[in-house]
Amino acid sequence: MKRTTFLPAIIITAVVAIASSCDGHRSPGKIYMPDMAYSRAYESYAQHDSMKFTMDMNDKGGNKIFYNSMPAAGTIKRGEFFPYTLPNDSTGYKMSATVKNPLDSINAKDLTEAGRLFNINCAICHGEKGAANGPLATSGKIGGVANLTLPAYTAMADGTMFHSITYGKNNMGSYASQLTREQRWMIVKYVRTLQPKAAGTTAPAAADSTAKKP
Amino acid sequence: MSRYRKIINSFIASLLFVALLSTSNNVFAQDGKALFQANCSNCHKPDKDYTGPALQGWASRVPSADWIYKWVANPSAMIATDAHAKELFAKWKPTVMTAFPQLKKEEIDAIMKYVDTYVPETKGPAGSTSTEPETDNSLLFGILTLVLAVVAFILLQVNSNLRKLSDEKEGVLRGEPVPFYRNKTYLMAGILLLFALGGYVTINGAIGLGRQKNYQPEQPIYYSHKVHAGVNQISCLYCHGGAQDSKQASIPSVNVCMNCHMAIKEYAGDPITREDGSAVNGTAEIQKLYSYAGWNPETKQYNPDNNKDGIPDGARPIEWVKIHNLPDHVYFNHSQHIKVGKQQCQTCHGNIQEMPEVYQFAELSMGWCINCHRETKVDFFNKETGEGNKFYSIYEKFHNDIKNHKLDSVTVEKIGGTECQKCHY
Repeated sequence: MKRTTFLPAIIITAVVAIASSCDGHRSPGKIYMPDMAYSRAYESYAQHDSMKFTMDMNDKGGNKIFYNSMPAAGTIKRGEFFPYTLPNDSTGYKMSATVKNPLDSINAKDLTEAGRLFNINCAICHGEKGAANGPLATSGKIGGVANLTLPAYTAMADGTMFHSITYGKNNMGSYASQLTREQRWMIVKYVRTLQPKAAGTTAPAAADSTAKKP
Repeated sequence: MSRYRKIINSFIASLLFVALLSTSNNVFAQDGKALFQANCSNCHKPDKDYTGPALQGWASRVPSADWIYKWVANPSAMIATDAHAKELFAKWKPTVMTAFPQLKKEEIDAIMKYVDTYVPETKGPAGSTSTEPETDNSLLFGILTLVLAVVAFILLQVNSNLRKLSDEKEGVLRGEPVPFYRNKTYLMAGILLLFALGGYVTINGAIGLGRQKNYQPEQPIYYSHKVHAGVNQISCLYCHGGAQDSKQASIPSVNVCMNCHMAIKEYAGDPITREDGSAVNGTAEIQKLYSYAGWNPETKQYNPDNNKDGIPDGARPIEWVKIHNLPDHVYFNHSQHIKVGKQQCQTCHGNIQEMPEVYQFAELSMGWCINCHRETKVDFFNKETGEGNKFYSIYEKFHNDIKNHKLDSVTVEKIGGTECQKCHY
């Protein structure tokens, strides 16, 4: 009689103690129905089975599948501009001045979008007005930030600016992975609107293009 | 008399001279900083070696006073002829300093003066921001309950003893009282209590299965969102650009880190402490990043790719631990919420810009999703002004209802945001 009364009590206490002792903001905890929680298809960033896949280019052609998440060579994303072919060296830099901006004019909507992208990616150093007064520049964390409103950059060709965004220059890194080619050209257009001289020439063009488009 | 005049004259002259010197000093000091920032700071720091040598104490190192002017005007020519320049080049090659022939002697003076007087910004003693440790009331309540239970138990015992005494006095005969652990009332109460408690814990545990609120894993690099998104005001989309274009918010690849960390080699901000109170060495954490990226901060170049695997030698992916895990049977798309829904990152991720270590802020449970869908108004297309998302122009009935003042706004739920198949398919 005594034992039968105490047994459930002990079990319940034990369950309570175990359940409450699982602190663990460092562990993800438990899940129910793992086959519904974990994807069977390959998810982004998921680890690939190293017995089946390899990221090492030297193993290519072996009995493992070579996969490194890069697009197949020679392919272009739909809607993306053709690749920029000039090399990342001093010759390429010089030649970039001859490359024309494929965007002749930019409409007001795209210009706003370009401004948004500029504020996200560039303004952190170059400042929202391009005057080298972004938070990282004024705090002195990154030195030598270009003041895009200076004559040197007003005179800089669109292509050279694009070249620098694509490959980086001095302390600036490459933005090719963060911005598509079209976005980079759009940002070049936007930078022109920040510059004192070019401001007058771009505004009417923007108005024209919006008028033409439906 | 003439002697006095001479003294007075020389006195006035020296006064003027001092005044002139001090004003010009002021001007130079200001100019020096600006000039330094514009021309030199790309490669030089006043007090530390960078791409080029630290400039402080230059005067004791150069062979003659006008050496510096010649050097700045044309470093390559100096390397060819001058002994000290050769020495410098041997130390810093292959980098040769850019020539600055446009800098005037006064400007160089101003720069060098700024460099010599430069004092690194020191952080004032951080304001005593010792926040009151949050007192956990549950412990207090628990103790209180226990004390009350003990008191109640003692009182009951006292009661039964008193009754026994009074019974003996009045000569009423009762059977030997059962001890409390055999007393059926006590046992029943105890079992009921344990049953209720066990049920509560079991149900809560079952609901909590698969939920990870407050999950805060340790990451391979102590990356502080507070420093990056808070102090340095980097936009969330700078690193997590995928959030506006795709389902995934995307973890930035190492080259995105290197965009800034090519230049930022050390952490000099407010001290960061881990949960256990140990200090985080920010500079060491940046060194970890360099090791992952295969970057050599000394030469400012990526390691060569000698084993021909397409990446610099030693470079490897950083295995960040994913914090926000939705089960596979739920579809969630970031771009839909950021771009179309115009939600802030903080709505679901909390005040990321104040988190040194990120934890899961939201429940990420279905009830939590549904709740937001019930309350959030969509950017409904307004036919009169032409504002809002044009996609919603297809909801004819709602447009009529708004026109007839039956509705004032449309929530996500109204356009099907709580349908099962929106997220589960």
